[in-house]
Amino acid sequence: MLDWLSENWLYIAVPLLVYLASYIVGLWVRRIAYRAFDRWAAKGKWEGNPLVVQATRTPFLAWFMILGAYLAVRVSILDTSTKALADKVLVALFIISVTWVAASLSEKLLRLYIGKVKRLQPSEALIVNITRITIAVVGALILLDALGAPTTPIILFLAAAVFIAALVSRDLLTNFFSGFQLVQGEQIKVGDFIRLESGEGGYVTAVTWRTTQIRGLDGNLILVPNSRLLQSTVINYGRPLKKASEPFRFYARLHLKEVTGLKACNLTELVDTLKKVPGSVIYYHTHNFLEEYQYLTPEPANDFALWVNDELGNEVLGEKLASIDTFGFPTIAALRARIIGVIEDYLSKNPDGRTAPLGREFHFIRSISVILPTPYIAHDLREFIEVLRKVSTDSISFHVFEARLRLQKGVNDFSIWIEDCLGDKDLADKLAYLDPYNYTLEGLRSTIIQLVEKRIK
Amino acid sequence: MENEAHIQSRSRIQDYEPIVGRSNIEELRMLAEVLGGKIVQNINSTFVGGGVAEILEHMVPLFNQLGVDARWDVVHGNEEFFEVTKKFHNAIHGGDEKISAEDFALFSKVTQQNLEELRFYGDILIIHDPQPVGLIAKKKEIGRKWVWRCHIDASNPDKRVWKFLRGFVVDYDAAIFSAPSFAQQLPIRQFLITPSIDPLSDKNKELDSGTIDSVLTKYGLTSDKPMIVQISRFDRLKDPLGVIEAFEMVKKSIDCQLVLAGGTATDDPESEEVLEEVRKRAEGNHDIHILLISPGSDIEINALQRAATVVMQKSLKEGFGLTISEALWKAKPVIATAVGGIPLQIRNKLTGVLCYSVEGAAYALRQLLSNPEYANQLGKNGKEHVRQNFLITNHIKDYLLMFIALAQPSDIIYL
Repeated sequence: MLDWLSENWLYIAVPLLVYLASYIVGLWVRRIAYRAFDRWAAKGKWEGNPLVVQATRTPFLAWFMILGAYLAVRVSILDTSTKALADKVLVALFIISVTWVAASLSEKLLRLYIGKVKRLQPSEALIVNITRITIAVVGALILLDALGAPTTPIILFLAAAVFIAALVSRDLLTNFFSGFQLVQGEQIKVGDFIRLESGEGGYVTAVTWRTTQIRGLDGNLILVPNSRLLQSTVINYGRPLKKASEPFRFYARLHLKEVTGLKACNLTELVDTLKKVPGSVIYYHTHNFLEEYQYLTPEPANDFALWVNDELGNEVLGEKLASIDTFGFPTIAALRARIIGVIEDYLSKNPDGRTAPLGREFHFIRSISVILPTPYIAHDLREFIEVLRKVSTDSISFHVFEARLRLQKGVNDFSIWIEDCLGDKDLADKLAYLDPYNYTLEGLRSTIIQLVEKRIK
Repeated sequence: MENEAHIQSRSRIQDYEPIVGRSNIEELRMLAEVLGGKIVQNINSTFVGGGVAEILEHMVPLFNQLGVDARWDVVHGNEEFFEVTKKFHNAIHGGDEKISAEDFALFSKVTQQNLEELRFYGDILIIHDPQPVGLIAKKKEIGRKWVWRCHIDASNPDKRVWKFLRGFVVDYDAAIFSAPSFAQQLPIRQFLITPSIDPLSDKNKELDSGTIDSVLTKYGLTSDKPMIVQISRFDRLKDPLGVIEAFEMVKKSIDCQLVLAGGTATDDPESEEVLEEVRKRAEGNHDIHILLISPGSDIEINALQRAATVVMQKSLKEGFGLTISEALWKAKPVIATAVGGIPLQIRNKLTGVLCYSVEGAAYALRQLLSNPEYANQLGKNGKEHVRQNFLITNHIKDYLLMFIALAQPSDIIYL
């Protein structure tokens, strides 16, 4: 072995020298080239310059080393087939490194650019990944071609795969392009309040490449596919309104009827019993018709008036009782006193009159209210309106009738919140002066919504 | 013998959202959550036939979907027992029944047998009607919440029978009545909960005209003349003979046809006898159709109600009269007597017409048959009234509220 080396040292030394020379030339060229590049870049002040340098500096020397290795193989005494094999390995290394640099540089430049364009930010990950994959595929095809592999079937296969993938993920692509359209067109932006055809609504918290995220009125996150947003009618109310100092939590009041077992056959019994029954009985009989027959009449009479009229046939007293304006009384005690006063006044001037037929007596019923919090919260008037559209009439009853009279707040909950937490006394007063007994519950809902909508327009 | 019902859910609770609104269903879910894990055991006397079985059949699965473990058992008894309970039923309605000491003894004996046979596993036990009322004896041993659900018009009961039953009822935690006038002076809480119909059941769902026509063809009915329909089991308290009489008075001036359709219940041995009486009375009149509908033929009943021009319910006594809500739900004008729970469903001349006599029924029939626009408006109002008050979702809500109220005796309960 030593003998062979002493006789043929030039066969080893020459390729090594060629390789080293290439490495040294590489170092020198890189130094010159990057200095020139820096001088040129300094004039343009392009932010991508450091990225280009960072991405290519190390690979630049590696390419000279690959060149050195190639030249070394050329001048070596290796046989032709080994040289050909070495050439292929070196070409492959070169293509891989160029592909790597191209992918890395593209990613850095894209992230730099997208970072400046807010509309593209939700799609950053997708754009970067698509670019990387495209460069990798092109690099792989060039490599295969360089190695002599047949690329046409692979291209066809890839084309077919892309086609199938596009078919399979057509919804994904539709959503992506829809999202791109939404972002580019600035039709929907983060912070906007939108209402969908389905009735769902809320503030937009994010627009990603697949979905638009909405914080629903019940606090839940709603993910709407972008394509659906573009294909359906969406009302965009724009930017948030003034936030309330405290949000408004909607409650619902459900009521159960409890029979007291007390009944009246005539006016004397009616008035005597009225004096001793709990307030929940008075509340029930002055609000029952309003809820049970809410579709029939916008101005319901209390049960006492109906019974006196229908069963005792006393139309005069029936009319007097029906004309008692429930809205004018701040408490049930005051309302009770008025009803008793009207009947006693009548009895002081008239005889008791008819007795109700058997089975048609007045039965005193107590209303048991079960109050439960709904998931709906309003932080501003826009959310308030949208929640009001959704909640049941049990919720409206509670905040308008029950809160004012039974919970003795003197005014409805909506007015209190609008004045105390939004500082809008004018609107609060408008709602407070609205006589809810003149509307059906659905009519009342619409009227309140109209008043608030008019305010925020 | 099988005591417990294993019933499959036909409708999903969310299927009711388009009918009553999403927010109402959300409220049911919230209420059900409060009850978390409680078992509600219903006990009545039959799985098939009659309003109670029909309500439980639809309600129990819906409770389960809401997360409330509701179950259903029946008491057992021989024919003699059900004859006695039928007498009780009539006596509570105010009928003059001869009930002997042996009858009371038999009732107590069968109650004792059921106390030994039945499993009492509910946290809340709802006992329906008089047949199983005596099961309350178990409360001393196992405690828990017991509620007696009276579906019958108890506004003017036979004193002797009521005294006997009251001895059981006072041991319950609460009683439920369908109408305020049914309530009694009792030392326990009394809730007012009306029964309900299921808008998605075979009896109430929408039907296409082909289905309706095929049912009419099956029973030899034609749609070329106005059709007056009364659907109820053959029971004297439903006054089928009175309906025929009113029809005959109207028939003199308006060409129309009458359909009396109904079935029999296993706990009503008297119905066969009444059916024969009615058939005999209608003999010779080809415009009177007496149809015996077998249990489970709900589509047929639905079709007959939908084909009707006017629906009648001329009951002499009535618990609640769910057939009225069924007809109103189909937006049909209804004429009914002002008894039991009927005035809760029919507000005179707003959601239907109330009558007090055969002559009054005939007069109302003539008015409605001659004024289709008025009839349509009544039907339209009636449908909304049922949507607001008498659908199964309202019924479930009332039960859930009552379960909550049983635990918190207060006028205002915050959850």
